[in-house]
Amino acid sequence: MHDFAIALPEIFLAVAAMAMLMIGVFQKPGSDMGLVSWLGILSLAVALVLVVTGEGDNVSFAGLFVDDPFARFAKVLILIGSAAAIILSQGFVRREGMNRFEYPVLIMIATLGMLMMVSANDLISLYMGIELQSLPLYVLAAFKRDSTRTTEAGLKYFVLGALSSGMLLYGCSMIYGFTGSTTFGDIANVMQGQEKAGLGLVIGIVFLSAGLAFKVSAVPFHMWTPDVYEGAPSPVTAFFATAPKVAALAMFLRAMLEPFGGMEADWRQIIWLISVLSMLLGAFAAIGQHNIKRLMAYSSIGHVGYALVGLTAATSEGVRGVLVYLTIYLVMNVGTFACILAMRRGDRMVESIDDLRGLGKTHKGMAMALAIFMFSLAGVPPLAGFFGKFYVFMAAINAGLYYLAVIGVLASVVGAFYYLRIIKIMYFDEPTEPLSKPIGMELGVLMAVTAFLTAAFFVVPGVLVNGAAVAAGSLFP
Amino acid sequence: MMYVLITFAPLLGALLAGFFGRSLGDRAAMLITSLLMTLAAVLSWVTLYQVAFGHSPAHVELLSWIKSGDFAVSWALQIDSLTAVMLVVVNTVSCLVHWYSIGYMSHDKAKARFFAYLSLFTFAMLMLVTSDNFVQLYFGWEGVGLASYLLIGFWYHKPSANAAAMKAFIVNRVGDFGFALGIAGIFLVYDSVTFEAVFSATPDYVDHTFMFLGYEVHTLTTICLLLFLGAMGKSAQLPLHTWLPDAMEGPTPVSALIHAATMVTAGVFLVARCSPMFEYAPDALAVVAVIGATTAFFAATVGLVQTDIKRVIAYSTCSQLGYMFFAAGLSAYPVAIFHLFTHAFFKALLFLGAGSVIHAVADEQDMRKMGGLAPHIRKTFFMMWIGSLALAGIGIPGVIGFAGFYSKDLILESAFAAHTSFGEYAFIMGIAAAFMTAFYSWRLLFMTFNGKPRAPRETMAHIHDSPPVMMIPLYVLAVGAVFAGIAFYGPMTGHHWEEFWGEAILILPVHTALEHAHDVPTWVKWLPLVVSVAGIALAWQMYIRNTELPGSFARTHQAIYQFLLNKWYFDELYDWIFVRPAKGLGRIFWKRGDGQVIDGFGPDGISSTVLKLARRASLLQSGYVYHYAFAMLIGVAVLVSFYFYAIGV
Amino acid sequence: MILPALAFYLFATITVACGVMVIASRNPVHSVLFLILAFFNSAGLFVLLGAEFLAMILVIVYVGAVAVLFMFVVMMLDINFVELRQGFLQYLPIGLLVSFILLVEILMVVGAWVIAPETAAVAAAPTPDPALRSNVAALGDLVYTRYVYLFQAAGMILLVAMIGAIVLTLRSRPGVRRQRIADQVSRTRDSSVEIKKVQPGQGV
Repeated sequence: MHDFAIALPEIFLAVAAMAMLMIGVFQKPGSDMGLVSWLGILSLAVALVLVVTGEGDNVSFAGLFVDDPFARFAKVLILIGSAAAIILSQGFVRREGMNRFEYPVLIMIATLGMLMMVSANDLISLYMGIELQSLPLYVLAAFKRDSTRTTEAGLKYFVLGALSSGMLLYGCSMIYGFTGSTTFGDIANVMQGQEKAGLGLVIGIVFLSAGLAFKVSAVPFHMWTPDVYEGAPSPVTAFFATAPKVAALAMFLRAMLEPFGGMEADWRQIIWLISVLSMLLGAFAAIGQHNIKRLMAYSSIGHVGYALVGLTAATSEGVRGVLVYLTIYLVMNVGTFACILAMRRGDRMVESIDDLRGLGKTHKGMAMALAIFMFSLAGVPPLAGFFGKFYVFMAAINAGLYYLAVIGVLASVVGAFYYLRIIKIMYFDEPTEPLSKPIGMELGVLMAVTAFLTAAFFVVPGVLVNGAAVAAGSLFP
Repeated sequence: MMYVLITFAPLLGALLAGFFGRSLGDRAAMLITSLLMTLAAVLSWVTLYQVAFGHSPAHVELLSWIKSGDFAVSWALQIDSLTAVMLVVVNTVSCLVHWYSIGYMSHDKAKARFFAYLSLFTFAMLMLVTSDNFVQLYFGWEGVGLASYLLIGFWYHKPSANAAAMKAFIVNRVGDFGFALGIAGIFLVYDSVTFEAVFSATPDYVDHTFMFLGYEVHTLTTICLLLFLGAMGKSAQLPLHTWLPDAMEGPTPVSALIHAATMVTAGVFLVARCSPMFEYAPDALAVVAVIGATTAFFAATVGLVQTDIKRVIAYSTCSQLGYMFFAAGLSAYPVAIFHLFTHAFFKALLFLGAGSVIHAVADEQDMRKMGGLAPHIRKTFFMMWIGSLALAGIGIPGVIGFAGFYSKDLILESAFAAHTSFGEYAFIMGIAAAFMTAFYSWRLLFMTFNGKPRAPRETMAHIHDSPPVMMIPLYVLAVGAVFAGIAFYGPMTGHHWEEFWGEAILILPVHTALEHAHDVPTWVKWLPLVVSVAGIALAWQMYIRNTELPGSFARTHQAIYQFLLNKWYFDELYDWIFVRPAKGLGRIFWKRGDGQVIDGFGPDGISSTVLKLARRASLLQSGYVYHYAFAMLIGVAVLVSFYFYAIGV
Repeated sequence: MILPALAFYLFATITVACGVMVIASRNPVHSVLFLILAFFNSAGLFVLLGAEFLAMILVIVYVGAVAVLFMFVVMMLDINFVELRQGFLQYLPIGLLVSFILLVEILMVVGAWVIAPETAAVAAAPTPDPALRSNVAALGDLVYTRYVYLFQAAGMILLVAMIGAIVLTLRSRPGVRRQRIADQVSRTRDSSVEIKKVQPGQGV
């Protein structure tokens, strides 16, 4: 029978989510979500422990589910990202009338979906994971249901998400039709016998990657991102920008490299193109933005482009680069959104970049943290962001993708402009009306920790890079 | 564990004082850093006992730092005799300076910041001396450079302090550039940057050469010279010495710590540490010896005419460093380090004593405005005497003497015993410098403490000895200045020096300067004492007996006086050769090249294009769902069509 | 054997035609009705394949519940569909062009379909003979054993859908009087009826 033990983190998280739901339901109506939130964080922590204690490379549930170092690496990032998202939300949900226990429960179930995505070893379980992840995200995007902006964001996300799911399924059905299997391993075996992938299969891969590209918000499937990031409540945006991105990219890697690992020459152009487009659009479109959440949306599009450079390389080194990139990206984004969530005047959240004017004088610590994140996002050495880019570009060069690396470097130069602009606004512009204090304990701690990690990464990069190398190795038998 | 504690206690202190200084309060910050330093200092003496006398070098691997292909660097602590001696010097002086600063900086506003910088400096210095590879050494090297910059410019509201800090940093950059090239060269040649690997492989590269611009160049010599370039910058040797006197703009305890005892000796340490390489590069050694001897002489001449009390000591430091270098250049590394060791005590004593004087006369540094202070600050007066006696190397050969007597005389004896032309040059320069050293030291003492008071009346009324927290460090250093020589002369430089140093220092059997230094003719042993006493006597003649003499001498020999007063016109020379042409060139590039050509076509042109593109890119985002959906479909269609085109049906 | 073939082409043609009409018809109610017809014909296709359980489920769930719900929503929401269609014509040419290209390409792919002989061997679960094993049992064999993971995942998705629907729509408005059955049932005579002795000529 099936080996349930390897899916223990997922099973635990599912049960825990349902338990939280029950606790929430039986609380007094209108009571605070704090209890459920912290229990949720606790469950995520337990799941994290369960993930880390896993060993080896196991497949179970008739080949639907795999637990290997790659999956575990991604899961650790996802669980940390989700927990951080719940922590980030605490102050915001109370102020903005979103104080309902379903909020952390939905994040937990979305996290469950993400874990299933990165462990998917079959097109069907991949799809199930995606849907289980997406559905809570649609709801979360529209969580502040009295605001037209958020409901519009949620609806847009939902409609386009459905379209992308359609494309994904269409691609899956073509792949199934041409190979006779949905399991990654079997597809790879079928492909090994053939000299060249048929056109039908390649078209199937195109549709599949279109669906996946939507999830990672790569150009031209990115259009939802700026609107949803801007419209959704800020902590939800923070969540969108962290854990789901990691999950979707990790899944993208596995879905491309495991079943189609032997035929990267056939699909490399797809990833090349969307990677280049994402990097360029992320760099250029962000320049004209005034809303910092919208800016972060374009920033995340650009960063996905950089991460996909590693996938284009389709080597173990490339995957290592992507994993390192994702880790650093996660840390930087949690920190940046902690800063964004700390931007308020009185009880009103502000989101304009101009509201940061003179932050260097009024909020020294926060300005310094934000400056670190911006420098790091821009890829200024010796901060962590530089190393993320360094490893993926290195992999691209070693795979002979010189144009890609050059375009990437140029795009990051253009991209540096808007990151540095924020620093300039913070430190050299005169404050208009200062932001409120205090910024809150949770946000302060998260800012400090992430800023420290970003700044001090270069001291011991070995731990992360070696871990990522082991994880990457498991995709290349 | 103990070693880790020694190196990281100062860092902990720096972090605590630097980040939490405001919440801890000044007093707590000062006490915490000073106590942590004291701990480190005590433990370093234990280390010296264990490692150097117990012959048990240690190697502690902390963390893997960089790993990229063949290039592997770790954070590690290599504790051998050389390191142990340096640990003692650094931590002891630093500890005393910390305590002294509590008194000296009592009127300053930013005490916590000052102590954080001091501790940070100490940490960087410890990283430098405990390193087991060139990269960590470079980390510490740059770390002390940074801390030195911060400390020289500590009073950042003074423009002169800022200028001095920048000067120190920039001049050091010249040396560091050479040093970095040297490290790169080492990696290129040896494929490794750890001392162990490099030094053990060195004998294989004795005849290694490479082609440069058509010339065949000896590899080892090149590397050693590049490393020495770094040492010259850090240790203020000719022609990169100009920053050291200006660095006296920093608070006096800083001068004692950085510009007397520790950082400036890093160059000497580097040469000693790399003795296994220098030994195989005789040409490089000759350069080291000549530069050292010249600096010793040059700095002493300039010291003769300076009127700023700290600058006199600064030039004296420069000169003493020259001694250490020519000792090293003549393969007498143990003697160089021995002098480094004793010099740390008496020079720190002189600086702190000078600080005590300055403290007493309300921050006046010009000796022409002092005089007659002896009766008022008797304790400081005695301390300065002890320091000067040690500096001048007073002692009776074969019987007893102050610390400097043992080390300095041994350097001169080694120079004589080397029996090479460079040795003779160094010997002559050294003897001349010894005479001048004695002269300017007593000139300083007489001008400051004897004669008629030249300070304003209200200042004279307030003059008093410093509080105990400042005086006790002076006493401790005075003990060192008196006894450090006699105690360590035998073990460090005696016939059994190899036992003490272990594998830390290598001297090839052909280099016999140290071996023969103990058996020089008697007149060589007595000569330094004679010239020193002569110097003292001359100073007495000119500044006590006949005080008109210096003035008339300066008038009659105007040219020489001006030449010395302007420090051999080095600063003017550099200004003429480097600074002005560079500024002119910069102006051309700035106005013509950057402003007209590059900005016109480059940034301004590109940025307007980028902005245009950015506006277009934002316009894509219409907000309509069906636009978005359509974009996705077009994307898929384009990709599918591409594959039809690429693969064919 | 001509009869099943005829039936297949009939059902298939009507399904596709209905699909087109769902998009094309002007009246949204008609769209939903065409959708229902499309479901019915798909159910017919399932029956032809011998999957009568799925056919019935399709009719019951999609036709009986989902489509009817759609119908109610469409009829109850006051949406001006004419307004929504504005701009449709503007984009029609390029939309048609892109979809035409895509259609041709996909037709060419499907036309060139060659199933490799190895693919049959890797088929995950061979279909059992309908005569030996009933539809329901065959599905159950797979869903509760081999694909239990997916089954549970689907359950979680439904749970999320339920939570989402409640979160986004359920609101407790203040001031609304609701029927509280428990209160009504637990009322006793004593708590609701009071007998007052009324003295003649005084009133209450």
